Amino acid sequence: MPTVNNPTEKTLAELGAASREEVARLFAEVRTRFDSQIARPQDAHGWTILRVLWLGRKGVVTQITENWLKPAPLELKRVIGESLNSFKEHVEVVLADALAASEAGAEAALSAKDRVDLSLPGVIRPVGTHHLIRQVFQEIEDIFFSIGFSVVEGPEIETPYYNFEALNIPEFHPVRDDMDTFYLELPKGAPGPLLLRTHTSPVQIRTMEKRQPPVRVIVPGKVYRRDNPDATHSFMFHQIEGLAVDSDITFCDFTGTIDYFVKQFFGESVKTRFRPSYFPFTEPSVEFDVSCVFCGGSGTANSGGTCGKCKGSGWIELFGAGMVDPAVYGFVNYDPKKVSGFAFGIGIDRLAMLKYGIDDIQAFFQNDVRFLRQFP
Amino acid sequence: MKVAYNWLKEFVDVTAPAEEIASRLALSGTNIAGIENGAHGTVIDAEVSSNRPDCLGMLGIAREISAIYQLPLKHIAPRPAESRSAKASDAVSVKIEAPELCGRFTARVVRGVKIQPSPTWLKNRLEAAGMASISNVVDISNYVLLELGHPLHTFDFDLLRNHSIVVRCAKAGEKLKTLDGIERSLDPGIPLVCDADGARAVGLGGIMGGGETEISFSTKNVLIECAWFDPVAIRRATRFLKLHTEASTRFGRGADPEMAETASRRCAELILQLAGGELLAGVVDVYPGKRAAKKITLTRAEFLRVMGADVPDKDLEAILSALGFAPVRVDDNRGAANSLLAAWECTQPSWRADVEREIDLVEEVARIYGLGNFPPRLPVARIAAARLPHHEAETRLRERLIGLGYHEAITIPHVAEERNDLFRPPDAQVAKLANPLSEEASVLKSTGFVTLAGAIEWNLNHGQRNVRLFEIGRQYRLVDGKPVETRVLTIGATGAAREQGLYDPAREYNFADLKGDLDAIGALSGGFRWEDGGPEWLNAAKRGTLRLGQEGNQPIGAAGLLAKRVADKFKFRQDVFLAELDLGPVYCMFYGVKNNRRYEPLPRLPGVERDFSVFLEDGKTFAEVKKAIEALGIPEVTSVAAADLFRGKNVPAGKYSLLVRVTFQSREATLTEAQINDFSGRIISALEKTLGASLRAR
Ligand SMILES: [Zn+2]
Repeated sequence: MPTVNNPTEKTLAELGAASREEVARLFAEVRTRFDSQIARPQDAHGWTILRVLWLGRKGVVTQITENWLKPAPLELKRVIGESLNSFKEHVEVVLADALAASEAGAEAALSAKDRVDLSLPGVIRPVGTHHLIRQVFQEIEDIFFSIGFSVVEGPEIETPYYNFEALNIPEFHPVRDDMDTFYLELPKGAPGPLLLRTHTSPVQIRTMEKRQPPVRVIVPGKVYRRDNPDATHSFMFHQIEGLAVDSDITFCDFTGTIDYFVKQFFGESVKTRFRPSYFPFTEPSVEFDVSCVFCGGSGTANSGGTCGKCKGSGWIELFGAGMVDPAVYGFVNYDPKKVSGFAFGIGIDRLAMLKYGIDDIQAFFQNDVRFLRQFP
Repeated sequence: MKVAYNWLKEFVDVTAPAEEIASRLALSGTNIAGIENGAHGTVIDAEVSSNRPDCLGMLGIAREISAIYQLPLKHIAPRPAESRSAKASDAVSVKIEAPELCGRFTARVVRGVKIQPSPTWLKNRLEAAGMASISNVVDISNYVLLELGHPLHTFDFDLLRNHSIVVRCAKAGEKLKTLDGIERSLDPGIPLVCDADGARAVGLGGIMGGGETEISFSTKNVLIECAWFDPVAIRRATRFLKLHTEASTRFGRGADPEMAETASRRCAELILQLAGGELLAGVVDVYPGKRAAKKITLTRAEFLRVMGADVPDKDLEAILSALGFAPVRVDDNRGAANSLLAAWECTQPSWRADVEREIDLVEEVARIYGLGNFPPRLPVARIAAARLPHHEAETRLRERLIGLGYHEAITIPHVAEERNDLFRPPDAQVAKLANPLSEEASVLKSTGFVTLAGAIEWNLNHGQRNVRLFEIGRQYRLVDGKPVETRVLTIGATGAAREQGLYDPAREYNFADLKGDLDAIGALSGGFRWEDGGPEWLNAAKRGTLRLGQEGNQPIGAAGLLAKRVADKFKFRQDVFLAELDLGPVYCMFYGVKNNRRYEPLPRLPGVERDFSVFLEDGKTFAEVKKAIEALGIPEVTSVAAADLFRGKNVPAGKYSLLVRVTFQSREATLTEAQINDFSGRIISALEKTLGASLRAR
């Protein structure tokens, strides 16, 4: 302490302090000296020097310990110790804060040429993306997995038996006219015919052949229909089939499951409805609609006109589903009197188009990196 | 099916506006394509599903509305005035020789009609339904088809030879010129309406009439045919003939055999009204297909088992009655309302061939009652859910590829055969489509290469020259005529590995990038073994074959630079690198390696690196260098790495310079300078001896 009459260079006895009050007065004096010193602005170097002066090996705090505390009479030791600790903490905190603040200030004061330009990009490391169809598959898979649906797969090249007959669609059934089908050209003598599955439903049959109820599966995969390609048709597209069969599954369980899925996928505010429909492998069959996510179900677009996405109805048809037709159980040796269940087939491409506002299904399969990068 | 609102009102006194009716119909099973307000009033466009041919007429739609709104259905009971002297059965004979194709055939004869244009009201109704007006008699048959949903055909009675109708199977090679002027070759199994005791075909039964006996403006006498044909026979025939008509749609889905006679009477009534003439008494009605109405029982227990929530007796009975099922309680608890033991015996109406089981009745009640009245409930799962067996392996693989900068692609597997052959191994049998949409999509890809090269082609053609893609997809092949789908990973890359940026210069993607990236995913499965060779469509100097696990295992894939010959076919003007792996073994090894992976304690002592710069003859490989060093058996050698490689300046011709970095490490003690010098000396002499390497510097 480069000052005259520095009390910490002397012992208490030398200073003539023998009472608690005297000790307190001395500590107050030292603290006033410290506070007046740090009140003056310093650069980082100045603060470092102050730190040595007050907290260093020969600094004030050490002097107090050596000159006041150690030789003090027993009755004063405790009060000196406490006062010293309190003072030391004060000095440490104040000096640490001041040093940190002055360093930050120093960096900020560096010249503009050394400062980073935050508007410039960092080093760009190429990172790939999940295909959007894969992302939607994953999201749906995760939702159904969370309520007990296992994931299974099946072949894309199928037999008419699995694709049609076992699903209660005999030859010359009118529904076959709606599912224009690719057939394979087979070598002479090969067992056939073979086709490209028109839906993921054959995996329902393959699963029930292998497992006994309870069955809860979803089946993601590619399906094929012989439609000429345009903005809304691709001869390959994607579905997730769902199937639940148990001893006590009812229509209410079915609608509850679908409801749960849609609210997870589109949000709690979405409204749902089931319209009676017809599929040979479900009964009752339904078409499942959600309130239009573009106009909030009002049928009126933000611009004021009719909402183009739902054609003003306020509803968007999402997929077909229903309770498994008892006739299907006959093909897999389940007892239709003892089991019941539901099935659904969700078109993934259409769902992704709806959710992300994509107007051309072909964009999914061109794999233009500019498209892929839009969905990181 | 276009449903004119004012026409509908002739069958049911519904007052609700068309929009509401359309919405109620949609919510009870009749899909609605739209509502039009045209010149002839409001028309609801109903998309009737293929199981509901009864709704392909005003009467059927009206029945739905009567059930929905619980309003009485106004049935139709035509009573045309008949001749007192002449009988139909004296004028015409009908014989059905193919009762399996034709279950009923009715004939009525109207004499002395005046064929003329239809009155405006009739024209308007047909127009509202999307049909053109021809003449009064033809229009009437179409009107009745729309009204009652049952097809009819009218003949010029005088052009029918012998007035003896025979319905039989077409014969092989037989031909008929139909109303549309097309001569059609027939197939046995097609129902034919013939005259002259079966000698001449005058109509494709249930599909279209013949040209020679059609109604013209000179027609005086008319024969009304109203029949019933077997749905499967009609669908077979329409598929064979590629001919679909209003009649074939209705018969093909299943018309109402009981309606045939009523529709004929209705037609006669309207002809008398609009074309005049005299109706011969009675009807010639041959009905070999008549069947007793089927009884179906519905129990509340089954209803609850399927639907999970109840419908009160009152509603259930009202719905079934309105739809024509005439329910009668038959259980022992008949007195108790809403009894859990309730059972109803129902009678299948002739127009509802689609309803023949208890479950069908459940659906009928539920759809009219309203599916929204069954409260949703999330069922409890009773078994644990499982992911696909390879889920973890595939997820890790996919994440790693994405981290390495590859975008996931999904391609359509249909390709041109010529393109597929560019990448097809000679022994792979192609899966060819019998009915492709085009030559460009005529086979299923035998490898993933072909479609990934296609995806790169798309990008290059659209100005994207830096492309890194991968696809986890399938190969489709035939093996002994059986389909085999193999899960493969295909990788493709071209353009810059690193684009010109602020901090780094650009660098083109090269073979080492491909190899490094493959090794990064190979690490998940214990690492790939790279060997010389590969398919001939890869550049012979820049390709490799990959194996997993033991030496000598089957190759699981190949990687390399696309050969110029193939690149030229795609018009690629820059290097394109491709790789494909069979994922079966990759996933299998993933789990094997993962489960056997054990912790290796980290060395406590620092390792020491020594670099050896050697000249090697071109053709000598790093693998040989590594093998020579490892053959010394020095346990302290923990790694041998290639640190630098160059040719050219200061390197003798025919040689290249390789910097080999060897790391020495002991688990027991710090290595001394003397030990390291000893190891180094042995390494140098080994390289000199076995590889003829010359030491450049150290
Ligand atoms: Zn909308």
